[in-house]
Amino acid sequence: MKSHSIVLMGAIAIAGAVAMPACYGSPSTNAPSPASGRTAWGDPDLQGVWRYEGAIPLERPAQLEGRATLTAEEVAARERVEKEQAAKRLEGLEGAAVGRRSIAESPIRGNEYNSFWQDHGRPRQVSNRTSLVVDPADGQIPFTTDAQKAEARSAARYGVGPFESYLDPDTGERCLTDGVTGMMWQGPNGGHNRIVQSPGYVTILHEEYRDRRIIPIVSSDINSGELAARQHGAIRQWFGDSIGRWEGDALVVDTVNFLDRTNYEWANIWTRPSESLHLVERFTRVDATTIEYTVTVEDPTTFTRPWTAVIPITKLPDDIQIYEYACHEGNYAMPNLLRGGRTEAARTSSR
Amino acid sequence: MRPLFWIVVIVASAIAGATVWSQVPQSSAAEPYAAPRTADGRPDLNGIWQAINTANFDIQAHAARPAMAIVPASPRTDTPGLVRATHVDLPAPSVRPLGAVGGVPAGAGVVEGNEIPYQPWALVKRKENADNWVERDPEIKCFMPGVPRATYMPYPFQILQGTNKILMAYEFAGATRTIHMDTVGDSPASTWMGWSRGRWEGDTLVVDVTDFNEETWFDRAGNFHSEALHVVERYTPVSPHHLMYEVTIEDPKVFTRPWKMRMPLYRRFDADAQIREYKCVEFVEQLMYGHLGVVDPATGTINK
Repeated sequence: MKSHSIVLMGAIAIAGAVAMPACYGSPSTNAPSPASGRTAWGDPDLQGVWRYEGAIPLERPAQLEGRATLTAEEVAARERVEKEQAAKRLEGLEGAAVGRRSIAESPIRGNEYNSFWQDHGRPRQVSNRTSLVVDPADGQIPFTTDAQKAEARSAARYGVGPFESYLDPDTGERCLTDGVTGMMWQGPNGGHNRIVQSPGYVTILHEEYRDRRIIPIVSSDINSGELAARQHGAIRQWFGDSIGRWEGDALVVDTVNFLDRTNYEWANIWTRPSESLHLVERFTRVDATTIEYTVTVEDPTTFTRPWTAVIPITKLPDDIQIYEYACHEGNYAMPNLLRGGRTEAARTSSR
Repeated sequence: MRPLFWIVVIVASAIAGATVWSQVPQSSAAEPYAAPRTADGRPDLNGIWQAINTANFDIQAHAARPAMAIVPASPRTDTPGLVRATHVDLPAPSVRPLGAVGGVPAGAGVVEGNEIPYQPWALVKRKENADNWVERDPEIKCFMPGVPRATYMPYPFQILQGTNKILMAYEFAGATRTIHMDTVGDSPASTWMGWSRGRWEGDTLVVDVTDFNEETWFDRAGNFHSEALHVVERYTPVSPHHLMYEVTIEDPKVFTRPWKMRMPLYRRFDADAQIREYKCVEFVEQLMYGHLGVVDPATGTINK
């Protein structure tokens, strides 16, 4: 495994936000609490702007093999590093000057050339967990051999190309999407999401690419046959066809009928949809400012077995907004990339 | 029995239809329609809505015409004495293969008084826009449509009433507006879809929209605005199945006075009606970028 896909997370920060507890509990010890309010029509209220602010890598780093948790000393050391780096970002420093000297040390792939995208200033929350992936137990995404090759290829081309046509940049660079799998918590900007509830619907607005999921809520006693019938599969979409239901206070969202977009370039292969992708997401409000978000990813096209990640997501203060993300409308990078590709091709052929 | 049954059904339907119809234009009738309430006591505008008119072609009254992009027929000069006396409009070469699909249906328009009070320079620009429609209309490039155009494009949109925010989720280009029903700060930047603050006036949702950029149009006919655009929208339930949509346009840099549009919006009743994805970015990349790369994906040609 390459190291730089291991650490995938939105960094970062919004000035003036509230301080958060330093450590997230391990998922197995989180007891659902009735802290959340209710909507006027009686559903658990998940509304607000949410973001992943943790520093837990998606996959367990090789040097922590066999360890699901860090020691208290290791957690304290990481907290110091996060605070130092946040302070440097607040001073306006970027990339290596923040303290990460290579792409491999970046929280997201391509941090160095893309670091101007990031919000700055708020330290990420350190946890004793060593990976967001909790199943398989080794904390690794169970890629198929083909998907491993695709992931290696994707890593090799990131920020480098070739960029011979508009089909060569990845889906994010094309202003399409980075996919549903990481939408609730991933993204250079930290994966800001606004949840709005109305009777019969939970809608999630993801700031990046203005991704939007309007999730119809069905009766909690619907059986799997009825679910399948509703998701009849005639209309495949990038974000699939989601059905939500309440299991107690937890929102469970079942999504199938994704488009096959494995033929496009993806910044991270694990977020790409195929027709066999099946996502089950669970949103559990564990306290006033935390949702424990669990996503189980099943797709034999990309993975040898289903895998599950548990991700603590933080509620931001009420004055934090989602802003317009006009990516395609201002995608000057696309013509510039293609112009660069042609210039390079001309230089190569004239040699 | 059977014929009588059908007569009853038909008469009943006619009466029901007439009842609904009579309610549509009469938003200020003696006994106004009272909208149902949400659980927190607000008028309930939740649902999937769509305009059914030709405003997206041209918000003003217009006759049917062969295409949005028009070229004049060439004068017939090869035969002496037979120069054509009258002007003939033809579809421009860029849209000609579309035939009747590329035609423009007539429409009464949605502008109050049918006059858009352009300043003289702006009227010139509007004509330039229309003459260069294929190159200039942001709809063609899958750019966010702006307000109010998003409302009357030929795609549905959904109103989702949350506790402090109301979402308007448009199908076209996946654009979404957040209507802030609570107090929020100012927009940090100009935007395509505006910065929307909402309030209730009786059953009417009033949305004050500011902080636009100057990139969006009102229709395919080249009607435009500047970044000084200020839009006030009024969504009034007038039956279980209709909203009356009234919008006031103010832009002192482009118009000589505020002006208004008005149209009904219809509830979508289709089984399984929902807002689908219309991620048109990937539909326009070939148009916008196909000729720019080393290789054109549509033709396989190497661009020099």
